[in-house]
Amino acid sequence: MSLHFSGTRALVLGGTCELALVLAQTMIESDLFPLLTYRDDKGLNTIREALRPFHGRYETCYLNFGDRDSLDSIFTQIGDDLNFLVDFAQGNYESLIAGADEERVYSYFMENISFRAEILKRVGRAMLKKRKGRLVFVSSAAAARPNPGQGFYAAAKLASEALYRNMGLELGERGVTTVILRPGYIDAGRGRIYLQKQDRKILEMTPIKRAITGEEIAQTILFLLSDGAASINGTEISMDGGLTSGK
Amino acid sequence: MDVFAELKKIIEELLDLEDREITPETLLIQDLGAESIDLLELAVTINSRFKIAVKDDEIFLTRFRLYSTEANQQGKDAVQYLAGRYPFLGEDRIAEIVAHIKEGPQLKIKDLISYVTYRSGGG
Repeated sequence: MSLHFSGTRALVLGGTCELALVLAQTMIESDLFPLLTYRDDKGLNTIREALRPFHGRYETCYLNFGDRDSLDSIFTQIGDDLNFLVDFAQGNYESLIAGADEERVYSYFMENISFRAEILKRVGRAMLKKRKGRLVFVSSAAAARPNPGQGFYAAAKLASEALYRNMGLELGERGVTTVILRPGYIDAGRGRIYLQKQDRKILEMTPIKRAITGEEIAQTILFLLSDGAASINGTEISMDGGLTSGK
Repeated sequence: MDVFAELKKIIEELLDLEDREITPETLLIQDLGAESIDLLELAVTINSRFKIAVKDDEIFLTRFRLYSTEANQQGKDAVQYLAGRYPFLGEDRIAEIVAHIKEGPQLKIKDLISYVTYRSGGG
């Protein structure tokens, strides 16, 4: 199946995570141009290392969630020429609700929800100028079925999902659409670290009896960005091997 | 640049209006039927064509009624209070809006002209 895209420039938030880097390669191979965000030198080096063979076919930009100046600088750097947004960015904060540190709770929600709303405003306005744009928010199966300790993570994911859903609802008629992807247990990044700590039991609970690969996620996101998927708007798709379908 | 002519062109394009008389006195919402999504797109287009920062709440007088109530509650002169919130509008214009506020949204093309002129450094 060949995919067609309306545009090439894709801002990838959380561009240093393993999934984003797999996606970036897949995008480049499909002649898309990823703009990957990083928040420190370590992240920048991770991107450069992973995408070494693709010099000149991607760009990097500094973005620190919660730092509004860094958001300004992104738009100064890339202008309004933006066709796609893929959002992997998510701070992690694991704590039982009743054991949480108040200060961290406030800053966690500010960074992961309020700041995201500001990004969406800026990106939405840039895309409105073209009356075209596609946004994919990478959420998590934990949004629907969190484990103990994942309350804040799930709350931030659900709130962010709501922002993306409404954006698709509000701007769909002007050609700007959104979709939310909820991956389950992933054999990449934070997911891999989690899986390594668990025994096989956790994957046995998944109907397909295995973790989702980064490559599968990248291919799915690529499809979701393509013209053929444009009518999947303002909704979420689970990609968890059936994990959340039963009990 | 003729701000009115440019705004007229933008509004005609966005709202798909043909052969409709638009003057500085035309009411954007009541006469032309602009909806919130149209206003959003208008703000974005004004930002891009005139190269000025646009605050949607400000240019579309979104909180005008709220500020007017606030002034009354605080026993302040409504026109002066609102003039502080909307420095791009003259006091005469503010008094005019206050007088007609019960008839629905009073945003006129000339208010957009005032905003653009003010933000471009000409006000």
